[in-house]
Amino acid sequence: MSRRRRPFGVIVGRAVSYVLLIVAVLVALFPVFWTLSTSVKNRVDTFANPPQFFDFVPTWKNYQNLFDDAQFVTVLRNTLIMTISSTILCLLVGGLSAYALARRPRFPGRRPLEVGLVLVRAMPGIVLLVPLFNLLSDLGLYDNRLALIALYAATNLPFAIWLLTSFFEHVPYELEESAQVEGANGWQLATRVLLPLLGPGLSATAIFIALLSWNEFLIPVILAGESSKTLPVFISGFISNRTLDWGPMAAASSLAIIPIAFLTVVAQRWLVSGLSSGAVKE
Amino acid sequence: MTTGRRRSLTSVLLTLPAWLMIVALIMVPIAVGFYLSLRNEKIGGFVEPQYVGFDNYQTEIANKVFWEAALTTVKIMILGLAIQLPIGIGLALLLHQNLKGTRLFRSALLIPMLLTPVAVGLMWRFMYDGDLGVINWLLETAGLGRIQWLGDDLAALFAVVLVDSWQSIPFVMLLTLAGLAGLPTSPLEAAKVDGAGPWQVFWLVILPMLRPVIGVILIIRVIDTYKLFDAIFILTRGGPGTATQTLGILNYNTGFNFLATSRAAAIGIALTVITIPLYLLWAKAARGQR
Repeated sequence: MSRRRRPFGVIVGRAVSYVLLIVAVLVALFPVFWTLSTSVKNRVDTFANPPQFFDFVPTWKNYQNLFDDAQFVTVLRNTLIMTISSTILCLLVGGLSAYALARRPRFPGRRPLEVGLVLVRAMPGIVLLVPLFNLLSDLGLYDNRLALIALYAATNLPFAIWLLTSFFEHVPYELEESAQVEGANGWQLATRVLLPLLGPGLSATAIFIALLSWNEFLIPVILAGESSKTLPVFISGFISNRTLDWGPMAAASSLAIIPIAFLTVVAQRWLVSGLSSGAVKE
Repeated sequence: MTTGRRRSLTSVLLTLPAWLMIVALIMVPIAVGFYLSLRNEKIGGFVEPQYVGFDNYQTEIANKVFWEAALTTVKIMILGLAIQLPIGIGLALLLHQNLKGTRLFRSALLIPMLLTPVAVGLMWRFMYDGDLGVINWLLETAGLGRIQWLGDDLAALFAVVLVDSWQSIPFVMLLTLAGLAGLPTSPLEAAKVDGAGPWQVFWLVILPMLRPVIGVILIIRVIDTYKLFDAIFILTRGGPGTATQTLGILNYNTGFNFLATSRAAAIGIALTVITIPLYLLWAKAARGQR
């Protein structure tokens, strides 16, 4: 009897699976669709009741207004500069430590470093920001891009070190030994032997750290003034407006999330190993 | 010097920049925070700040608002896990069947994961709007009533948890998928041969084998909910009243709305101390992986 029932059960099972998956995809993507569509609507369509899903004439006006605003262009440039420089700094500092962690099972300070990284990962950022606000204001470093870049890099350091350590562990030590036997110095070893082999891992780590920096909100909302303001802080500024400009807000949000949505699809495997790094052994 | 000692020295030197960064940008601020917490500093205060010992800690321990914030943090954590774990694991199981189109579904489902929290938070705020929001329009069209999502205590708590879940379910799903891919097939086949149905296979075979992975998901989600800031800040700033004020938001509000620097610093030190048990759980979960 069970034999006869089974094909029917399988068909029902599949149908239910597809329905559930489609519902999940709709829920996952609707807010993204809504952001994009609001960004190309005029005011009337934005506040239409019932909501206009497809039946409206798209307009680029919200984007035009954004780019006409000199402040927005500065904000975009700031965000790019800070994302790129903090990612490079984080990879450099993290890479050195990761190499030591991957190659030497024991050295002085190894254990404290490992514990420290987990604590940095687990600590809420706000804890640092009340004292940092005081400290940096006293030192005249409030609204200072370099200070922000260093802070971004420090808070992302655990991710960089964990990811890079696991990538270094995949490079066989024998390769390095033979390079040394042939007389390569430390610099040559790093640039000629390790870097080419690490290419994919390094770029995956870079993408992940860059995304975290691009999204960073807490640090700049407290420590950035007008001259170092970033995109997330700029976007959050739309709330305090009494008028609630949803159109321009959606346009600015779209510019923030489109590159990420794209990268998420392209680099999915790496992103999840980033999020779970440190707790999961590859 | 022996090679071993020279290599140890090299390793120490290599980790020096990381230590420098951690000391200067993490440990020094915490030390300054501790120093501030023992004083009565306020931004724009009229009294000359001075040393007050552990007064700020005593104030906070006696403060109902502090314990409410702790409770709210725990509520958001439990509610979040109760939503994210079953849905994330469920979606992973659906994808693990490898039906046609799985790769497309997986890619689409992942997209919310790393989107700028501030941007999506604002969009959800727009969607939650009581009068013009698309969610209430949907509820009304379906014959259900409107909900003042961000204006009602309980609804606001759910609204916050929903946004956080929307962003973190993909992560739960992906980690579970990786766990499922690594499972040995023989116990599954043995169970099927013994006549176990799909539910029995799931509860009695798959779930126990997934335990280490679920442990890792659990601790990472607990830590990230503990750190959750952007979404709450954008959606409610802890409101209405203090309904969604977590410890992190309380720390922010104390320091930057009430400008009570020293009290905020004391709350910060308390939050730092709480990370220690989280570290122990993390270490346990990581050990379970090996």
